Amino acid sequence: MSINQVAGVAAYTRMLGGGAPLAPPSSPQDASFGNLVGGMVADAGKSLKAADQATAAQVAGKGDLVDVVTAVSAAELALDTVVAVRDRVVSAYQDIMRMQI
Amino acid sequence: MDLSDITRVAASGLRAQSLRMRVVAENLANADSVADTPGGSPYRRKLVVFRPTDEGVAVGGLSTDRAAFPRIYQPGHPAANVQGYVLRPNVNGLVEAADMRAAQRSYEANLNTIEAARSMTARTLDLLK
Repeated sequence: MSINQVAGVAAYTRMLGGGAPLAPPSSPQDASFGNLVGGMVADAGKSLKAADQATAAQVAGKGDLVDVVTAVSAAELALDTVVAVRDRVVSAYQDIMRMQI
Repeated sequence: MDLSDITRVAASGLRAQSLRMRVVAENLANADSVADTPGGSPYRRKLVVFRPTDEGVAVGGLSTDRAAFPRIYQPGHPAANVQGYVLRPNVNGLVEAADMRAAQRSYEANLNTIEAARSMTARTLDLLK
């Protein structure tokens, strides 16, 4: 498993730019942890952005409360999933690093 | 994703029931709206028709209650006909109260669906932690 910092930074940049989510890895070489987390973070970023827009529209008196609730709960779920997967994989990585050789 | 599907379907129920509440409010607000011309028709009670879709429920449209208008004898009223009767809206407060309570319960049921789906997903995610 290679954790590529460049891929991580690229994923965050994509998320900030609001770009399209990462394509699913097609070959085994692409299926790195960096790509996985990058794709999930991009998805979560998109849902968070949608939740943000729905909330802003609601505050401005133009939106629907139900839209806000669904968007926020979708974003919350996406973020929770990313965080849980990241924690799990990072702790597995640390376990391996602590392994006595 | 399952949870977002459930949320979307339940949210369509929330929207449908809030529209039903809005129609109840409109009916109650117009419970005394009679015509202002002699022999004219008063407010006719509105009904919501729900329609199932792939994404939950949709409002099929608003229809009107075809029940007859009750009439009262009030010859001095501007809407009175030649016999002196005024047609009243066919809105019944009891029926509206029952409809409102049904909408409220249905809304709560949809909210509970969302809550249950959320807690199921949260419990599943807890397996990772």
